[in-house]
Amino acid sequence: MQGYGDAGGELAQLQSTMHAIEAACSSIQMHINPAAAEAAILALSQSPQPYKACQFILENSQVANARFQAAGAIRDAAIREWSFLSAEDRRNLVNFCICFALQHANSPEGYVQAKVSSVAAQLIKRGWLDFSTGEKEPFFYQINQAILGTHGLDVQFIGISILESLVSEFSPSTSSAMGLPREFHEQCRRSLELDYLKVFYCWARGAALSVTSKILDSDLAAPEVKVCTAAMRLMLQILTWEFQYNRKGTKSINHFSAGVRHDNALTNRTDCILVQPGLAWHDVLISSGDTVWLSNLYAALRQKFSPQSSWIDSPIAVSARKLLVQFCSVTGTIFPSDSGQSQEQYLVRLLSGIILWVEPSDAISKEIESGKSGSEMLDGCRALLAMATVTTPAAFDRLLKSIRPYGTLTLLSTLMGEVIKVLISQNSEEETWSWEARDILLDTWTALLMHSLQPLHITGGGISLPPEGAVAAANLFALIVDSELKAASASAYNDDSDSDYIHASISAMDERLSSYALIARAAIDVTVPLLTRLFTERVSRLHQGRGIVDPTETLEELYSLLLITGHVLADEGEGETPLVPDAIQRNFGDFLEADKHPVVLLSGSIIKFAEHSLDPDLRASFFSPRLMEAVIWFLSRWSPTYLMSLEETHDRNDDSLLSRGHQLPQNSRKTVANYFSEYSYGKFVLGTIVRVSIITFTSYPGENYLQGMTCYQLLHALVRQKNICVHLVALESWRELANAFAHEKMLFMLNASHQRSLAQTLVLSASGLGNSEAANQYVKDLMGHMTKYLVELSSRNDIRSISQQPDIILSITCSLERLRGAARASEPRMQKSIYEMGLSVLNAILVLLEVYKHESSVVYVLLKFVVAWVDAQITYLEAKETAAVVDFCMRLLQLYSSHNIGKISLSLSNSLLSDAKTEKYKDLRALLQLLSALCLKDLVDLSSDPVESEGTNISQVVFFGLHIVTPLISLELLKYPKLCHDYFSLLSHMLEVYPEMVGQLNNDAFSHVVETLSFGLHHQDSEVVNMCLKALRALASYHCKETAAGKVGLGSRASDPRNPSGGTENRIFSRFLQSLLQLLLFGDYSPDLVGAAADALFPMILCEQSLYQKLGNELIERQANPEFRLRLTNAFQALTSLNQLTCTLDRMNYQRFRKNLSNFLIEVRGFLRTK
Amino acid sequence: MSDEENHFESKGDAGASKTYPQQAGTVRKNGYIVIKNRPCKVVEVSTSKTGKHGHAKCHFVGIDIFNGKKLEDIVPSSHNCDIPHVNRTDYQLIDISEDGFVSLLTENGNTKDDLRLPTDDNLLSQIKDGFAEGKDLVVSVMSAMGEEQICAVKDIGPKN
Repeated sequence: MQGYGDAGGELAQLQSTMHAIEAACSSIQMHINPAAAEAAILALSQSPQPYKACQFILENSQVANARFQAAGAIRDAAIREWSFLSAEDRRNLVNFCICFALQHANSPEGYVQAKVSSVAAQLIKRGWLDFSTGEKEPFFYQINQAILGTHGLDVQFIGISILESLVSEFSPSTSSAMGLPREFHEQCRRSLELDYLKVFYCWARGAALSVTSKILDSDLAAPEVKVCTAAMRLMLQILTWEFQYNRKGTKSINHFSAGVRHDNALTNRTDCILVQPGLAWHDVLISSGDTVWLSNLYAALRQKFSPQSSWIDSPIAVSARKLLVQFCSVTGTIFPSDSGQSQEQYLVRLLSGIILWVEPSDAISKEIESGKSGSEMLDGCRALLAMATVTTPAAFDRLLKSIRPYGTLTLLSTLMGEVIKVLISQNSEEETWSWEARDILLDTWTALLMHSLQPLHITGGGISLPPEGAVAAANLFALIVDSELKAASASAYNDDSDSDYIHASISAMDERLSSYALIARAAIDVTVPLLTRLFTERVSRLHQGRGIVDPTETLEELYSLLLITGHVLADEGEGETPLVPDAIQRNFGDFLEADKHPVVLLSGSIIKFAEHSLDPDLRASFFSPRLMEAVIWFLSRWSPTYLMSLEETHDRNDDSLLSRGHQLPQNSRKTVANYFSEYSYGKFVLGTIVRVSIITFTSYPGENYLQGMTCYQLLHALVRQKNICVHLVALESWRELANAFAHEKMLFMLNASHQRSLAQTLVLSASGLGNSEAANQYVKDLMGHMTKYLVELSSRNDIRSISQQPDIILSITCSLERLRGAARASEPRMQKSIYEMGLSVLNAILVLLEVYKHESSVVYVLLKFVVAWVDAQITYLEAKETAAVVDFCMRLLQLYSSHNIGKISLSLSNSLLSDAKTEKYKDLRALLQLLSALCLKDLVDLSSDPVESEGTNISQVVFFGLHIVTPLISLELLKYPKLCHDYFSLLSHMLEVYPEMVGQLNNDAFSHVVETLSFGLHHQDSEVVNMCLKALRALASYHCKETAAGKVGLGSRASDPRNPSGGTENRIFSRFLQSLLQLLLFGDYSPDLVGAAADALFPMILCEQSLYQKLGNELIERQANPEFRLRLTNAFQALTSLNQLTCTLDRMNYQRFRKNLSNFLIEVRGFLRTK
Repeated sequence: MSDEENHFESKGDAGASKTYPQQAGTVRKNGYIVIKNRPCKVVEVSTSKTGKHGHAKCHFVGIDIFNGKKLEDIVPSSHNCDIPHVNRTDYQLIDISEDGFVSLLTENGNTKDDLRLPTDDNLLSQIKDGFAEGKDLVVSVMSAMGEEQICAVKDIGPKN
């Protein structure tokens, strides 16, 4: 305490500070010079030890905002100065905040109290590991007293809200930043979870219980309601805590992902968070009867207040319902292991209350439609979702049976049916309660049915829904399809361009469609015939009404049916061959006759319908581009699963694997696959598919989406399977397609990139031919026309004048795209012909590059073809061929560079300018890819003689290439992340693999490399920094090892012999040693980089030991604070001596140094970096 | 203007048409197209349908290659649209006259004197400064549908 003499002066000073802050606050509010006001407030929180002033303001100021800012200033200053504060000061600060919040509990400015509570919570957390248990005790005693309610309701409320802030501070995802290591936060969280969380929960429950009876006797405006609501909110918050230490009490800290939940694979689509607090919570949550108390409370409140319509959305009702839903999600080891019985009982108790929210569903939905709030009903759905997530379908169904004559699945089905009815009747685009309810209920079905799809997960055998559940699913699916069809026909004339495309509509509907498919598969024996019936009905309706009725509505219905059916019958392969869905394999045991098998009937009727599109008249009347898209989509979804599926061809081997776990009647499983196999109906279907594909190319001019789908999805999927290729190349229709492709103008009308894809597909199908000669001949026949055209054109005398004609540009572009597609299809069997194809046009390409130097789109296609071709061919080439290809690539690079270096173009408009930049970027990226492709030769070489035999040195070539390309790459262009990435990965690859080349570079090239690395080292993208560090490591360790062996290493590049003590600028390692140290000590970077940085730093230190010493000494001398200076000295000492680090560059030492550097940085960065 | 005709009637494509028809669906971004009788570079192509079950139509946004103005058009994608014949020719710069015209050397040794300097500041200063410094400059002249304009310059440096 200071003397009396000062007291007056101090008071005056405190008052002036208060007035300054008050003035600042009110000027911010009135927008008068806010910058100055903010500066004044900031000055307070940044001044040393502002606590007294802040406390003074809190206690005396009449301006609430000033009190708010003062609380904030306490927080900022205390967190900053924490380590300098004495233990008493720390305690006093916390105490002050708690007392202040509690004492002023009845203040009307609640936000100030909330702020002070949150400051208290943050300070408690900051000191959590410093305070002994005894020191924490008084804080919690005060809070507990408050919560007990002995000091009145306001205090009780504030007590709860302090705990709320505390829990949220301790939960990693909501904690505030304190500039402390993650470990600290983890320790706090662990300590709170194990020692306090349950206590807090009990306090909250006590508070809620204490006011219950009062609430039931009064109305919703009573102050008790506020307390009860807060208490329930706290309970909910505690139950959403991410419990981690429940299993064995220990769990190592996850250092890599902070505050991200990753444990709920099952619930990824929902906001249903599983609550798994562990056995320790059993007494509090399960045996205490909380659920009953809360259910009863809610029921009583519901009874009493239901006449007031606003009550459903009142805070107390909302919190109570949320808490009840959360109770439903409790699972895990908290329940004794009695095969789920006690959990079932627990859930039944909850359900008996919750059922009233959703039943009778028709009456409730009517009430909601006539204005009642839907939130209670939605919470009921959420509770069902939670229960479905924590139980098996059978257990879920049983829950309701103890209180109703039917099971929960029936309830779910009825409820969803009701929701869907409302959806149909509304037919509006707005998202209403019924949308949300439908999504939640669909998620519920998904949760249930996903359980049953994982047979080994729970019971060890395939379980499906109980029979009653299957009926419920079937009814529901019928309703769903009905509603989708109604929606489809109603929207048939909508002309909103966004949802027009099948991609858009599928991805928008995809989650929904896959949930529908799950439901359908739960009752597959009913739903497949239903789909067949609906489909044939629509088709015959089309035929009957042909020429009389506008078919649009029916077309839209068929469109919708095709999407649904595709999802029900087949899964998406995502690049792999999908199997016939389990439900379909399992449930059609008695259909041994293939042509009566429901799946065969359904697939057959769709394929037959697709076949109608071959008839020109029918096509003109029905097959709109949109319907055709759905047909193609269906075929491409269906065929990988069913058409000539491999499963059936190597029969016996797979049987044992596939039927594991469930005994299947062998024949039934095979029926569908056999039917569409290559020995049966399959060939015919394949022929149909190819003919339908040709129709989309020839009869739908300009329909890019449709044609793209045929190319990319349908045909690509077909040629991926070898056994299908075998049949494709034998098909008359496939030969027709190939022939048309090679010789007819028609297919030149396709979009150029579709032509590329088609070329790839056609060439790939050659793998189905018996031998290599036939395959090569096939490719030659297919592509010969294109190469001949290019060669002839490029050798014409008038090429310059005709080349600019649009039709010539178009046909050149298309031909090149086709060649590129063919090049991408390189497989060993066709390699030779594709090599020859490329070789024959190399000269033509150089000519065209010259002719089209101003036509960037052609240049790009030229470059991309070369990249694809070199990339696919280089590993197969013999030395002589390699030499020719490499020579060609260098000529190409030089030509490109000579056209583009120093060129300034007209910049008429911004968008043209940025387009031009993008074109440049794409070109350069292609060139870098070309160089990377050449690098491949040194890694993978399948030829018989080494490349060197023809005098080709790949590394020299690539460095030379880089030398040509780099001047074209400006800093501006490096802003394109992909280009930047490609460039640095190529460069670092080259430096890593061929460090010796650096010594041989000329001055320009060398300084370019150095500048580039230096640029990359400070790049934002940590991937780029990482690549630069790798390159530096390679260079430094190369130099180190070479000089240790008495050689020159990088020679004058590393150390300048003429001027050994002089400027460091020209010595690569001294320069980077400096900048890397600077970065490590003072920069911002991702912690992931420390390892790579250590690997680069270690050899550099060895290369430049004296400089390293000098830099270290400079740093130490710069430290004014003697304590820091000592720590820094020791840390530098430890960096190079700890863990038995020695001066040899081997794996062990790298590892040791990584460890040392990481410790070093943790030790020193804290005080070196000030902020 | 009549001078120009006398000098350049020997251009290789004198009889070639100014535009070519091409199916709208095949016109790609970065290609050329004629919109409202102006040659444009396509900067955006999007497709939509005429009604749900109708045919596709292409929506083009183009930038006039001579004046930089933005133009838009919608064409059914199976129909043809006009593609301009855009020619680019390189000439060596011989002289810049005071009234803003340039004198260019053609391939067959004649001169071409009917082009103005470009209005684009960057390009203009590169040409003027480069010429003043005595650099060897090659300018590219873009022509389409009866108009022409200098569109790029390149310093070919001292010959060696």
